[in-house]
Amino acid sequence: MSFKYPVVMPKMSMTMETGELINFHVAVGDQVKSGDVLFEVMTDKIDMEVEAPADGVIESLVANPGDVVEIGKPVLIMLTETEVMAFDFGAEDEPVAAVEVIAAPAPAITTPVAPAAPVILNETVKAVPKARVEAANRGIDLRTVRATGPDRTITMADVNGAQLDPAIAKRQAANKALIAKGIEMTRGIAQASFTRSVNANFDHATFMAAWAKVLRNRPDLAAHEHIGVALIIESKYGSALPVFRDPDQLTIADLAALVASTTDAAKNGKVPVAMLSGATTTVFDLTTYSMSSATPLLFPNQVTSVTIGYESATTKIVSLTIDLNFCDFYDGALLLDALVASL
Amino acid sequence: MSDRMLTMAEAVREAMSIAFDERPEVFLLGEDVGIYGGAFGVSGDMYHRYGSERVLDTPIAELGIVGAAVGAALSGMRPIVEIQFSDFTAQAMDQIANQAAKIHFMLGGALHVPMVLRTPQGSGTGAAAQHSQNLEPWFASVPGLKVVVPSNPADAKGLLLSAIDDPNPVIFLEHKLLYKIPGRDPVPEGATRIPLGVSKVVREGKDLTIVATGIMVNKSWEVAEKLAAEGITITLIDPRTISPLDMGPVFESVEKTGRLMVVQEGPAQAGFINEVIAQLAGSSSFGSLIAPIKRLAGMNIPIPYAPQLEKAAVPQIDDIEAAAREIVKNWR
Repeated sequence: MSFKYPVVMPKMSMTMETGELINFHVAVGDQVKSGDVLFEVMTDKIDMEVEAPADGVIESLVANPGDVVEIGKPVLIMLTETEVMAFDFGAEDEPVAAVEVIAAPAPAITTPVAPAAPVILNETVKAVPKARVEAANRGIDLRTVRATGPDRTITMADVNGAQLDPAIAKRQAANKALIAKGIEMTRGIAQASFTRSVNANFDHATFMAAWAKVLRNRPDLAAHEHIGVALIIESKYGSALPVFRDPDQLTIADLAALVASTTDAAKNGKVPVAMLSGATTTVFDLTTYSMSSATPLLFPNQVTSVTIGYESATTKIVSLTIDLNFCDFYDGALLLDALVASL
Repeated sequence: MSDRMLTMAEAVREAMSIAFDERPEVFLLGEDVGIYGGAFGVSGDMYHRYGSERVLDTPIAELGIVGAAVGAALSGMRPIVEIQFSDFTAQAMDQIANQAAKIHFMLGGALHVPMVLRTPQGSGTGAAAQHSQNLEPWFASVPGLKVVVPSNPADAKGLLLSAIDDPNPVIFLEHKLLYKIPGRDPVPEGATRIPLGVSKVVREGKDLTIVATGIMVNKSWEVAEKLAAEGITITLIDPRTISPLDMGPVFESVEKTGRLMVVQEGPAQAGFINEVIAQLAGSSSFGSLIAPIKRLAGMNIPIPYAPQLEKAAVPQIDDIEAAAREIVKNWR
């Protein structure tokens, strides 16, 4: 069985809105391998070859050479055996975002943002002097603050509005100093990991619901409007990361059924496209390999990552990694404690 | 403390009289300061009280008047020069800027020039472009001169006494419109001095710092009173001496309010008040600003003769009020 996969005009720069299709390197019916060049694109800044995201066959050519195509709009359609390879590390829902991530990985989030606030990354920032001082003290990136002052200047009210409660802010400032003193940076993100044993037996559904519930009490930990738990599932095609959106808001029975069917599908290399994006945290279950623990790695744009390890028939080990730009050791301990308690 | 409410003309006359009584070397010279009592009536009856040797009517020759005063000062006298309109100091500028201001320094401190030059300035009298200027930046930009701009009778008296005591030249700039207005505060009896180079915090508030000079202190006060009733409170600072300038209270206040507005009557371009902005911008208090600095000053035009235009050419109470509201409302 094969899936239709539209290969779209990728977004190659912050300002890019359209790209010109220069030419195709493939024709309808061609068999292509992942990484083969499909077509060339020209923008005002860059010429780029767009590669096949997976093995497959060219089903149709949608655009014509010379066309100016909007980003996110299909250029050709592939038939693929596996859609799961087009992972999306936490960007938005449209396929365009997935392609964007492949073309240029999104920068790691390094600053706290108020919950559900839109992230604005201004190239240059106008701010009143005190706003700069305060932002520096509290570890706020002014590029993420919405300006409401005259001439789109960031006022003190804007900085205060973007801020978390003072206790958290204070800890973050202290934490920032600690980071500066040389905590090991992994993938450019200062992070810390915690591990605890749990005397409980639980399935993936229970675990994800519990974890989502814990995270829901800390909306300051990410700028997302939902909680998306990516569950790493190994298959012969590689790792799949189907994302379960707001799993704590489903009944356990419904969630368990969804997890079961998704796991089955993923093992066959099939995950619904809708479940490929929107991850805000990741869960990796090591018990199937009888591993006790591994350091959970943070994925781009995610603040937390969790592994479940095997200790004994009745005991599991839960490990948590946190992004220290968003929370500190104390937060991490509290999160893991809350998670373990709810299991 | 007395409860005498004097006008600035009366307060200045009182200070001069006290200095006359204290020191025989103090004398007054200028055009019409004697029998006529001064163009604005400041010297009043002093000619009759102290006689023609200490209250000297001079010819209309400003360079000569100031030159004579500089010479007298070098000879041990303490002259008070009155120039009828500050605009006319242009005539005397060589004596002021190149002689009076420099002699003490060029002679290694061997000689002093204890001279005070008093002169009325400012618009609002319908006297047009050659009789209405605010020339304080001319003097404030000459090292060696101290420059005083009093805003009220009590300050004028105390500052003038200190100016007369000073061993080197002091330029004392009196706004014409203040001569006939009683101050808000009573003028103390006796020879109470107010030191030069000390800014005065006229009132304290939390929302906005206004630094104003001369008559603009009074206008800003009116605005502060009005806005206080609405819950907007203003710290009003009067530098009083613009050279040397005491910025300490300004820094302190801006660190509390985060907002600064400066107000002067003279033209905005290269005006004295820009010095306040520059010093704040270069200070560590800069980081306290939560709003752009607002400057209210006269237009860069010669003062017009037509009364409406004359009024429109310099900041009025309504302008100050609108600007104050805007800065507090827009920047939070």
